[in-house]
Amino acid sequence: MSRADRWLGATLVLMALAWLWLVYTDIPDAGTEWPGPRGFPVLLGIVLALLGSWLIALPEPQASEPRTHEPRTPGPVPPIPDPDFRRDLAVAGRVFALLVLCAFLLDRAGFLIATPLVIVLAMGGVLRMRRWLFIACFAAIFPLGCWVVFSALLGIPLPRGSWMAW
Amino acid sequence: MEAVLQAIAAATQPGVLAATTAGAIAGLVVSAVPGLTFSMALILVMPFTFGMDALPAIAMLFGVYSGGMTGGAVSAVLIGIPGTPSAAATVFDGYAMARKGEASVALGASVIASAFGGLFSLVVMALLLEQVAAVAIRFGPAEIFALVLFGLSTICGLAERSLVRGLIAGVLGLMIMTVGLDEIDGVGRLTFGTVQLQQGVHMLVAMIGLFAVPKVIETFAGHGRVSLETVTEDVRGLLPWSRLRGYWGLMTRASIIGTLVGAVPGTGGPIASFLAYDHARRFSKRPEEYGKGEIGGVVAPEAANNAVMGGALIPMLSLGIPVDAATAIILGGLLIHGLQPGPLLFQTNLDVIYALYVTVMVSWIVILLAQVIGIRIFVRVLRVPPHLLAVCILGLCVIGAYAVRNSTFDVYAMAVFGLGGYLLQRARIPVAPVVLGLVLGPTLEQQYRTALILSEGSHTIFLESPFAMTFFALTAAVVGWHVWSSLRAREVRVAPSAEGSAEALDQSTAFSVATGRFSRIAKWRRRWR
Repeated sequence: MSRADRWLGATLVLMALAWLWLVYTDIPDAGTEWPGPRGFPVLLGIVLALLGSWLIALPEPQASEPRTHEPRTPGPVPPIPDPDFRRDLAVAGRVFALLVLCAFLLDRAGFLIATPLVIVLAMGGVLRMRRWLFIACFAAIFPLGCWVVFSALLGIPLPRGSWMAW
Repeated sequence: MEAVLQAIAAATQPGVLAATTAGAIAGLVVSAVPGLTFSMALILVMPFTFGMDALPAIAMLFGVYSGGMTGGAVSAVLIGIPGTPSAAATVFDGYAMARKGEASVALGASVIASAFGGLFSLVVMALLLEQVAAVAIRFGPAEIFALVLFGLSTICGLAERSLVRGLIAGVLGLMIMTVGLDEIDGVGRLTFGTVQLQQGVHMLVAMIGLFAVPKVIETFAGHGRVSLETVTEDVRGLLPWSRLRGYWGLMTRASIIGTLVGAVPGTGGPIASFLAYDHARRFSKRPEEYGKGEIGGVVAPEAANNAVMGGALIPMLSLGIPVDAATAIILGGLLIHGLQPGPLLFQTNLDVIYALYVTVMVSWIVILLAQVIGIRIFVRVLRVPPHLLAVCILGLCVIGAYAVRNSTFDVYAMAVFGLGGYLLQRARIPVAPVVLGLVLGPTLEQQYRTALILSEGSHTIFLESPFAMTFFALTAAVVGWHVWSSLRAREVRVAPSAEGSAEALDQSTAFSVATGRFSRIAKWRRRWR
């Protein structure tokens, strides 16, 4: 566990350094006294670096281990994620891709086309369901129901898409 | 008196009643599903409120809050898995009663105790809210900064198993909120020249991503399935009034525990319910019956975890300080509808405050009726395949993120936060402190800088105010206590096995260490395993 903590700590320190670099390059110094627009983000970057360093220096003992197979040999070898972790990460990547695709399609195809498509991809592609009739019905009814409730009843505008001017 | 009558009239309008009812039932049902906490219920319901007027929207959110507090007990009793961490202590005797064939009695007792605890804390809240707000109205930037800093000490309590990880999460939340246009100097911060980032990250979009999407990923990956094989009894005979004779005193004491614990930042339902369980067992004439299906082991934690609500709402409404993730989400919802919790709320929207009291009372009545009438339906909801629920949640997440500002940029942002939230979860970094950072971050920075502008750069402004110094001292005390108790807790750390109980047990450990109740917690844990 301590090795995983050290890797996490190192990642956080790197993140903090990247953050500080971004803060210094992107946020202009407004010429005011401390803290100015830059002070608070700089302070947060430093605190994150310190906390990351803390994890590197004093990794935590933890009984509830994540699913990793730690190598028995000492040395700076990262823990090898087990197949479950890799599979979960792949699922996370697919869900992320689905959401990005959905956002992309919402602007162009509109809610009533983007959402059914994403539901079909989620159920057929990520969940590997093969009951296509059920998937088709679900993909048709759920977005339509949402459209009725949100757009028609509650008056919340849902995207209509730029491809179809309706 | 006139304001009270107006509030009653406003809160009992058909639209408001319908929103309260829908919220209470949604909270009840979502929280009954293990793994879906009432924070998740609040996130899912939030988009529905965008198109509503302020009062029905708030009524719906508070209905979800009340319903969610109660719903966790349903799965705790029926399948032995707490629907929410707050219901973890209910499992010991609630599930034991169900296995003895008394599921209906356990459920009925939990409903009555929940309503009792909720209403008790509501009365306390009504009595204290205005007093606290009257003091808070005199606060300037230095005092507000100190107060928000004290609110941030909640991170320690939300840190679950590791204080360092909790602090990391809190800092990440604060970092996210620095992105966008700086309100004091009008300078874009980390916007990289994009118009969308000028507005900054909307806290609700971040919350939807951080809370809901990781749960969807988990479910898609095949985790978190439950079965109802153990439910063998039908649920007749709810509301066991005769069985509760002799337990009203215990319910009152548990409600006092819950209300007090709820008002302390970073504590919440899990700690309150375990303390109440401990209290019930300690002062019982039959302590040996606890864990084997004693009704006191159901009513005490349920009264306590529901009484947390009133306690938690005192600092949230009077000072604008959320004490846990759920109140942080509600705070976000209030802000969206143009209501700024804090002392000014009592001057500008007193009618809303009174209407809120009525709304919470109505929601308890709805919950009571819904549990009695709809318990069979809830059992069916537990049978719905989790992956179908996950697909629906994903759809609602997209709608929620889009509806916040009618922008697909927010859907992209939600996707990024979702993936980030999942990775944080895998790294055992809790998400709740991130939310607290999101909510309190902007106020913390603005008040600090405003105070320094007023004092022409001198930090003595913070030292001259007795209120600010009091809050600094309280912050130091809370942080110090958490550091001390987490160091002590490391010595006895044992991994809990049941999902959902982990958070509860770890939070309660810290508290119990401080009160010298090591052995009892260790015993609970062994039993749990």
